[in-house]
Amino acid sequence: MANVAQPRSQSSVPEGVAGALPASNRSAVRRLWPALTLLAWIAVAALCGCSNEPAPRDTHNAISESGDISSFFYQMLLWLDVAIGAIVIAAWGYALVRFKRATGDDTLPAQNHGDAKLELIWTAIPTVIVIAITVPMLVGVFRLAKRPDQNQQTIEIDVTGKQWWWEFQYKSGTANGLHTANEVHVQAGTAVVMNMTSSDVIHAWWVPRLTGKRDATPGRSYPLYFSAREPGIYDGQCAELCGASHALMGTKLFVHPPAKEVEVEYNGAKVKLDSYETWVKEQLAPAAAPAGADMERGAKLFKDKTCPTCHIVKGLEGAESASPSMTTGPNLTHVGSRMTIAANTLPNTADNLAKWILDPQAVKPGAKMTKIAMTPDEAKAIAAFLTSLK
Amino acid sequence: MAALSVFDKALEPVYHQEREVKYGLVDWLTTVDHKKIGVLYGVAGLFYLLVGGLEALLFRIQIAKPDQNIFVGDTFNGLVTMHATTMVFMAVMPLIAAFSNYFVPLMIGARDVAFPRMNAFSWWTFCFGSILLNSSLIFAEFPAAGWTGYAPLTTKAMSPSAGIDFWWAGLTMLAISSMVAGVNFVVTILNMRAPGMTLMRVPVLVWMMMVIQFLLAFSFPPVAVGLILLSFDRTFGTVFYEYTMGGDPHLWQHLFWVFGHPEVYVLILPSMGIVSEILPVFARRPLFGQHAVIFSGIFIGFVGFGVWGHHMFTAGMGPIADAVFASTTAIIAIPTGVKIFNWLGTLWGAKMTYPTPMIFALSFIPLFTIGGLSGIMHANAPLDLQQHDSYFVVAHFHYVLVGGALMGLFAGFYFYMPKVTGKLMNEALGKVHFWLFAIGLNLTFWPMHDLGNRGMPRRIYTYPADAGWNFDNLLATSGVFLMAAGTLVFVYNILTSLKNGKAAGRDPWDACTLEWLADSPPKAHNFDFTPIVFSERPLWDHKHTADMAIPVPAAAEEIHMPSYSWKPMWVSGGIVLILVGLLLLHTIPFSWLISVAGGLSIIGSLYAWVTEPV
Amino acid sequence: MSAQLAATDPHEVADAAGHDHGDHGHHAVVENNFMGLPNIKLAMWAFLGSECMFFGSLIGTYFFYHGKALAGPLPQDVFSIGITSISTFLLLMSSLTMALAVDAMKQRNPATARNFLVITALLGATFVGFQVYEFSHFVHLGLKLSTSLFGSTFYVMTGFHGGHVTVGVIWLSMLALLIHKGKLNPAKLPINVEVAGLYWHFVDIVWIVIFTFVYLLEFIQ
Ligand code: HEA
Ligand code: HEA
Ligand code: HEC
Ligand code: CUA
Ligand SMILES: [Cu+2]
Repeated sequence: MANVAQPRSQSSVPEGVAGALPASNRSAVRRLWPALTLLAWIAVAALCGCSNEPAPRDTHNAISESGDISSFFYQMLLWLDVAIGAIVIAAWGYALVRFKRATGDDTLPAQNHGDAKLELIWTAIPTVIVIAITVPMLVGVFRLAKRPDQNQQTIEIDVTGKQWWWEFQYKSGTANGLHTANEVHVQAGTAVVMNMTSSDVIHAWWVPRLTGKRDATPGRSYPLYFSAREPGIYDGQCAELCGASHALMGTKLFVHPPAKEVEVEYNGAKVKLDSYETWVKEQLAPAAAPAGADMERGAKLFKDKTCPTCHIVKGLEGAESASPSMTTGPNLTHVGSRMTIAANTLPNTADNLAKWILDPQAVKPGAKMTKIAMTPDEAKAIAAFLTSLK
Repeated sequence: MAALSVFDKALEPVYHQEREVKYGLVDWLTTVDHKKIGVLYGVAGLFYLLVGGLEALLFRIQIAKPDQNIFVGDTFNGLVTMHATTMVFMAVMPLIAAFSNYFVPLMIGARDVAFPRMNAFSWWTFCFGSILLNSSLIFAEFPAAGWTGYAPLTTKAMSPSAGIDFWWAGLTMLAISSMVAGVNFVVTILNMRAPGMTLMRVPVLVWMMMVIQFLLAFSFPPVAVGLILLSFDRTFGTVFYEYTMGGDPHLWQHLFWVFGHPEVYVLILPSMGIVSEILPVFARRPLFGQHAVIFSGIFIGFVGFGVWGHHMFTAGMGPIADAVFASTTAIIAIPTGVKIFNWLGTLWGAKMTYPTPMIFALSFIPLFTIGGLSGIMHANAPLDLQQHDSYFVVAHFHYVLVGGALMGLFAGFYFYMPKVTGKLMNEALGKVHFWLFAIGLNLTFWPMHDLGNRGMPRRIYTYPADAGWNFDNLLATSGVFLMAAGTLVFVYNILTSLKNGKAAGRDPWDACTLEWLADSPPKAHNFDFTPIVFSERPLWDHKHTADMAIPVPAAAEEIHMPSYSWKPMWVSGGIVLILVGLLLLHTIPFSWLISVAGGLSIIGSLYAWVTEPV
Repeated sequence: MSAQLAATDPHEVADAAGHDHGDHGHHAVVENNFMGLPNIKLAMWAFLGSECMFFGSLIGTYFFYHGKALAGPLPQDVFSIGITSISTFLLLMSSLTMALAVDAMKQRNPATARNFLVITALLGATFVGFQVYEFSHFVHLGLKLSTSLFGSTFYVMTGFHGGHVTVGVIWLSMLALLIHKGKLNPAKLPINVEVAGLYWHFVDIVWIVIFTFVYLLEFIQ
């Protein structure tokens, strides 16, 4: 027998432990360690809070009622969780300090196996809490799933997620037939119905300040209802892993004022927002004819380089397609009016456009737009033409 | 007062063995000894923990700051996918298998598992499967569709690279390994307990192991079907996930999460069991409400099958399904709370010492609670619409997986290593490991809550500088280095203590359960005699309660130990051949012949298996 | 705990709990047989539970997609209830012969058991033969794996069932061969045959479910 265990009395500390551990009480640091752990958490938590980095996509600074519902539950559960967590951690920390074995104390603590009454209590209380949080939650679920009143004026938009951009087709009211990409425009105070779908893999459309995300699943349509309160420009992003450039599948939501134009703040700068109807009118109009020789060259190059096989420019002869859904790339009729290109990836400047046209995959890994051979000068000309499509 | 030394008087059993054990490498390749298989699982699990951690370290460096270009696009996605797949299936699950293999038979006073060769088969199938999965990097590229592999991103049209093929093939082998092990251990625990060990005297860790073996046996088949359908789509042109043919991407999500949610309890329950074993030892008193702790574990296992839809709140199942899944999910807080409170009850009024295993076990309580409480937030369907697929979820599951499952496994390592190696691990290094890891963990995963609130989606390889995510991401990445340093200290500790550790003796911690009655390391046959069990804490009562001494029989026992065998490895090898044939189907003509050869070799090996004298 | 029990010889306790030796016949450990079932039988029950989830998922998939095929041929175009009824009947008969084999083994009559095993395996093989014919006939009618959701779900579900029957045929043949050669521990034979029987009956029952809900329901509507 290799290991001979020593006979010993009930109270003696086993030799292994005694050998491995220094006598328990010596160092003050050791007594403090639970407190130190707590401190570490608090420090990290504080660090997060203290960074005065702005949070332009704060999920709890909502601009719609459905966003408020999520935030409401967050607040509710946050306080509940903090309370429960505090109780558990406080009891735990207290026990660690209070019920530490004193040096030389070799007696055994009470050998009780449990306490039915206590156990019943700490089963019952969580049960009550669970019921208490479940009931309002159920109300919330059905509230969010409620379609806006049929009689009410609504903006209905079919949203199609594609690798790696968003297609928007307006289905109702004055905007009927409007076809655009990546940047979606709605009117403050008006109910919006978005029908999410996809034509390749699953995406999820998410503008954190607006409301929660909804999956855009191929072969399925999933409605999102909301009504945005505050005019402004809000960033968002695809939230479901959809391939190489999932990280670069952004979107922008523009909430226009109902009547006259207003000034909103975006990223620290002041931006003017037209009324929704003005925007609609501009977007429904065909593209302006190329003005001047430079623009004509750009437009010609656009067609020569086979761009219209994938892109529509309504009003430009040879770049129109019968049906918008026949296109594989974003509608470019008013691409110049967009704030960004390539799904919120680059600011919409002539330089960026040229850079994108020259080598889309360099901007976005795996981008589904073919890289077409051309000189930088040609790209610049096309870019200039596209910029003019306001 | 019976001392452990009475066991030294037991006579060595009389052996029968058909064929003698081989030595050296051959021994490790052919062993059917549950302890050696446990060590194999443990070494593999630790290795993959380093690999998975390294992958995390790499992709965390990419997102430490905005607009970086180190790992871009599918390279990043591949790292994330392999990080998760590696950690879940090749690090934590094998580490759990290591504990269940090594300690379940010891803790129930058995000499081996019910089917030792099937056990070896599980190990080899895991081993080959994990190699197959990782070899995607050599032959193609890493699968990059996330560990959840949502269709249709995994279809041939959307992911033409063979990475996904390695993924389904490797996972299929891991699934087979787990299902077989599940059956084996259910039988072992139900049938092979020492005399007197009624179900209510089975140690909590063993109970949790039994619950997860049921979960494995019953939850893996759905995902196996999902993987089969995927492999048929990719290989034989079926249309299960082709939406153009009417296929519905929700099918995969349901099949995956019917498995996926029970799976997360597979990952956590063993650590809860380990904590339930360690706390009483260093508190020097019984586990408070042991039966409640056991029943809550069983309850969690059952309810865990009915909540999978909480991963699909944004998928569009409809409000009724959302409501049902959200409600059932919240219920799990109740049994989990029972465990937490009973652990606190164990500490209350105790006389505790704080060696390394105890520190790790203690840290489980607050860390897991934090993760569980954020889970309760996710269970709120309206709120989860915001949090789903955001970094808030990443924070949730790393608190439960790293703060919970992994910390529990670390605790188990420090606690049980002396039994496995006969050497105590170094306390000072253990504490360094703990502090580095605990601080790093909080530094990494706490800010992710904030990131989620700030609208950062998960699985993105880059983000703009003005989104408000810079500071938190930098914090998160810096924490990983602390965890990495801690992990390296841990590995160093294992290696040095193997050489220089103090001899542990039979029972270094004054523990409660039967495994500490065996030698350290235990003999091949575990116990010289089969112990008789009178209580929940047989060894403790043997030492501390006069009339509960474990009797040492006067005569030597007669036992038959199983012989070594090559057959389990052959059968696993046959499965590899079948899969390789399928993987090459569209690359090499007649590669299906490889599959046929694999099938025939399985039949042949099985014939040899059943006729082999054992 | 009683000092009385403490005095008991552990071997007696172990013996009282009954012995069994799993893993095809070695005596690795004192098996206490706590659940009153031999290891191998308990394992088979656990395995069949797992199989229920497997076939449940496959059959569930079939119904998830039932009626969603976008292109023909549809079930009513290809199913021939007469032929499938015959093969179903043969499979049912094989359950009977399997039961007879188990029974013969319980009577310690290996030769009879072997013969019944062979008959069972032959019936099973015939069933698989019918399935091969059915598949090739359907393919001839234009239903392939990739034709539609019906093709995919139907072939994969019934194919995996057929695969299980094939495994059973191989298993039973191997068992018959081993009995014939006397290579198995005679003490273990009854339990080995019984466990094979459990598997075989399970695979039969799965077919009954598939036949009823997939074939027959199609004609009731
Ligand atoms: C070890 C693994 C583990 C564990 C134990 C858990 C435990 C829980 N998880 Fe978690 N979860 C994961 C691993 C785990 N999870 C993973 C990996 C994912 C992401 C997968 C992916 O998408 O990649 C995930 C995702 C996930 C989601 C989906 C989020 C999303 O993607 O949108 C949800 C939603 O409900 C959820 C909920 C829960 C709940 C309610 C628990 C509960 O079991 C927690 C219960 C515990 C407590 C509540 C704390 C202790 C209790 C008390 C102190 C009592 C008092 C408390 C109350 C009354 C509230 N989890
Ligand atoms: C048990 C499971 C488990 C474990 C232990 C971990 C551990 C860690 N995880 Fe992971 N993680 C998951 C399961 C797990 N994770 C899952 C399921 C996902 C979801 C994936 C998906 O979206 O599909 C995920 C996703 C995930 C993300 C989100 C990625 C994204 O969405 O883009 C992040 C981000 O920070 C992350 C980080 C970490 C870190 C820093 C650790 C650390 O704790 C790791 C610490 C360990 C080390 C740092 C080891 C260091 C060792 C060395 C450096 C030595 C190397 C030397 C050699 C190899 C010789 N994980
Ligand atoms: C194979 C189809 C295809 C061709 C040909 C093609 N594109 Fe594209 N284009 C796309 C796709 C797809 C996108 C969306 C890419 C993304 O954002 O991921 C796109 C995006 C764009 C955008 C950004 C639009 C926006 O609103 O963000 C511009 C501008 C553009 N293309 C211009 C061109 C020009 C100019 C050419 C010809 C030189 C061209 N495209 C040729 C498919 C194509
Ligand atoms: Cu689209 Cu992610
Ligand atoms: Cu879950």
